[in-house]
Amino acid sequence: MMGYISEIYYGIKSLSAGLGVTLKHCFRKPITLQYPEEKPALPLRARGRLVMPVDPATGANRCTACLLCAKACPNGSIKITKALGDDGKPKPRAAKYLYRSGNCMYCNLCVEACPFAAILMSEEYETATRDRESLNIDLAAENHQLKGSKLSWWLAKFKGEEPA
Amino acid sequence: MLHLLEALLYNPGVPLAGLAAKARALWAARGLPSPVLDLVFQLAIAATVSGFITVNALFIIWFDRKISALMQLRKGPNRVGPFGLLQTLADTLKLLSKEDINPLRIDPLAFWLAPLLVFIPSFAVFLVIPFGNGLIAGDLNIGILYILAISGLSVIGILSAGWGSNNKYSLIGGLRSAAQMVSYEVPMMLAILPVVMLTGSMRMGAIVDAQAGYGWFAFMQPVAFVIFLIAGNAEVNRAPFDLPEAESELVAGFNTEYSAMKFSIFFLAEYTNLFLTSAIAASLFLGGWEGPLLPPVVWFFLKTYFVITLLCWARWTFPRIRVDQLMQFSWKYLLPIALLNLLVSAAAMKLL
Amino acid sequence: MPVQAPFELEKLSNKEYILNMGPQHPSTHGVLRVVLKLEGELVKDVFPDVGYIHSGVEKLCENRTYPAIVPYLDRLDYLGAVNLEWAYVLAVEKLCGIQVPERAEYIRVILAELNRIMSHLLWYSAFGMDVGALTPIFYAFREREEIIALMEAATGGRLTHNALRIGGFRSDLPKDFLPGLGRFLSSFERKVDEYEALLIDNVILKARTKGVGALDPELAVSYGVTGPSLRGSGPAWDLRRTAPYSVYGKLDFRVPTSEGRDTWSRLKVRMDEMRESAKILRQAAGALPSGEVSAKTPRVLKPAPGEAYSRVESPRGEFGAWVVSDGSERPYRVKFRSPSFSNLSVLREIAVGCNIADIIAIMGSLDLVIPEIDR
Repeated sequence: MMGYISEIYYGIKSLSAGLGVTLKHCFRKPITLQYPEEKPALPLRARGRLVMPVDPATGANRCTACLLCAKACPNGSIKITKALGDDGKPKPRAAKYLYRSGNCMYCNLCVEACPFAAILMSEEYETATRDRESLNIDLAAENHQLKGSKLSWWLAKFKGEEPA
Repeated sequence: MLHLLEALLYNPGVPLAGLAAKARALWAARGLPSPVLDLVFQLAIAATVSGFITVNALFIIWFDRKISALMQLRKGPNRVGPFGLLQTLADTLKLLSKEDINPLRIDPLAFWLAPLLVFIPSFAVFLVIPFGNGLIAGDLNIGILYILAISGLSVIGILSAGWGSNNKYSLIGGLRSAAQMVSYEVPMMLAILPVVMLTGSMRMGAIVDAQAGYGWFAFMQPVAFVIFLIAGNAEVNRAPFDLPEAESELVAGFNTEYSAMKFSIFFLAEYTNLFLTSAIAASLFLGGWEGPLLPPVVWFFLKTYFVITLLCWARWTFPRIRVDQLMQFSWKYLLPIALLNLLVSAAAMKLL
Repeated sequence: MPVQAPFELEKLSNKEYILNMGPQHPSTHGVLRVVLKLEGELVKDVFPDVGYIHSGVEKLCENRTYPAIVPYLDRLDYLGAVNLEWAYVLAVEKLCGIQVPERAEYIRVILAELNRIMSHLLWYSAFGMDVGALTPIFYAFREREEIIALMEAATGGRLTHNALRIGGFRSDLPKDFLPGLGRFLSSFERKVDEYEALLIDNVILKARTKGVGALDPELAVSYGVTGPSLRGSGPAWDLRRTAPYSVYGKLDFRVPTSEGRDTWSRLKVRMDEMRESAKILRQAAGALPSGEVSAKTPRVLKPAPGEAYSRVESPRGEFGAWVVSDGSERPYRVKFRSPSFSNLSVLREIAVGCNIADIIAIMGSLDLVIPEIDR
């Protein structure tokens, strides 16, 4: 009989503890991010799709078509065609840098493999498209312009330092 | 004119009865048969009630979602209409426009009748709900008994939904629901009995009248009030007693195979039952429409929504109970406590 | 081809029936199929059928260079990614004889423990859903989001971190990482107490889980059950303590165990582990030495022919990676020992005789991650 009563007592106690927790949360601020209107602030290292930024100093990208990124890629999602000079010999420049973002698993290994910091994972994460073809992007022709803190981060990066 | 408005707000029974009497007199003066007019009256009441059920259920769904959002650090529906009020309307319209899917090898009669069998009892219970002073469709002198008898019928609908769907999850859900509703009706009845004893009547109007002047039965019968809330929550199959639906176990329980219109009727019935349970709790224990200053109808809705908030709070806090513990809880805890409460209050009434 | 459950259908009595739970079911957390033989609601037999999300990761690894395998580990157990990467990276480092700088070791500990808390928070919320409590998930995800933000700042990934490299860590922690970690830790334990009050100590949950799914320590050991699922049965087997790797030997923490042997004690062990992980995080963040974060490794990694096995304590238990090298730049064979697979295999022993609802609770308390089982 005593056991029965204490069972009821502890039951009520634990239930009201739970009710107390939810009641307390009624007065806390909601954590919702109203996504399409509000967007999260991404850290500098966030990995969106791959871009090949234009170096503001030279007005061209820094790629030398050394193929290290293509070799580092686990999925083979990078295909590089070397530029040919007038003499028909390959030049250290990418004529076409095909990035197949449908294959990409956003692992950042290509970026780390690049000795010239020519490529970078950008902040673009809304990469859904309506057809597969548009997932294949020629980064060399794209002339991507970096902006803001990401640009200064990138500039510092190929000088050999990495702030923040 | 102002006088009529005041009467409609504070004591609508008198002007409405007056209107009905006038209409009857006019009707009789032309020598027309009176049953036809009764039928017209009944149809008008039925149309009002069904309109009310739909709008009210849409609002309760929104209310429930907002309460849950408040507790879960979310914002809840806020896209369609002001404060997302029209969200449920949009959802309903979407549901109604969906394809009505009939799975293979169902039992057509049981499958098609089930939504109606679930909905009709909750519709019928509105007959004896006292919305305000005299605002009650039919103040039967067996009001409480009527409620208990009618609301017990909805189990047939759920059972036939479970059987007719030709789905094992549905069948388990339907059987769980049958066991649950039968066992929780007993403590519910025993929780209502002290109120009936105190009032000396089963008429809903009389019970509300007996609580005039803050003599709320919730204060005189707190144990019965709590038991009624628990058993009522179990009757409407909401968490922590949502075993017939039990999403994580039975996918969606008895309404796994239902879609479109039929599903929306189940949904409507569920939220209407929630409203009814809360309304009955408010009428039996919280003094119904009695209250100062504000019109009785407003008091009735305030109290009902207070009870709904309590039930939602429990729903969003507790984990689901297991099926054998559900039975155990009813027969081992609720029933003895309710019986004891009945005994004590009977003794107290005799002595005092 | 779905596997036929080994139940003799023609021998079913009139009361018994077969219920297919999954591969699409709200509570099998992914594509696990569990075939149940039921009598009413009573479970007479259980047969878990795995393989619906088999992705051939081990075979894929044979065609990848050593560093390029790391991101695949993230996809196995998307909740304990850093821990899994660690097991593989350790094996390759062993194979190549690479000495990892101490700062990198501490960073690995910090990330792995953050990952463990992250995983346990997700387990907590998913378990809440399994038993019908719909609110805990939002509270736990609030904290989880803070950890994810930290992880994203440090590694760039939210779930598939790809944080570890052979020889160390990708690049030093960002400047605001440690202050952020401190802010997170300052209130975390209070939140865990709240979670416990809300769900774990709830009388309904206790009634549902105490004495349910009892797992004897001998049985658990014989099935190879590891991690919190084993420690809930008593044995204090935690690789961080029993076979310390990295700098775990220098850190002071308790290995939470429970003598209850049932579902509830497995829950309790996980809640306590979150507190212990917070303790480890505080120590590791305080003791973080300065220096390099990565050892010098050749650009093309070609280990000498041989093999190496290493194991770590992942949030789910003992995760092992066995790497065989034939001297080329791609491994000859890679094999993973996944804890969820062994933990699931014990289900048939402990779930017979319980209720449908209990099956869900037991599977929830084993904390299964299906891609890791199917690999």
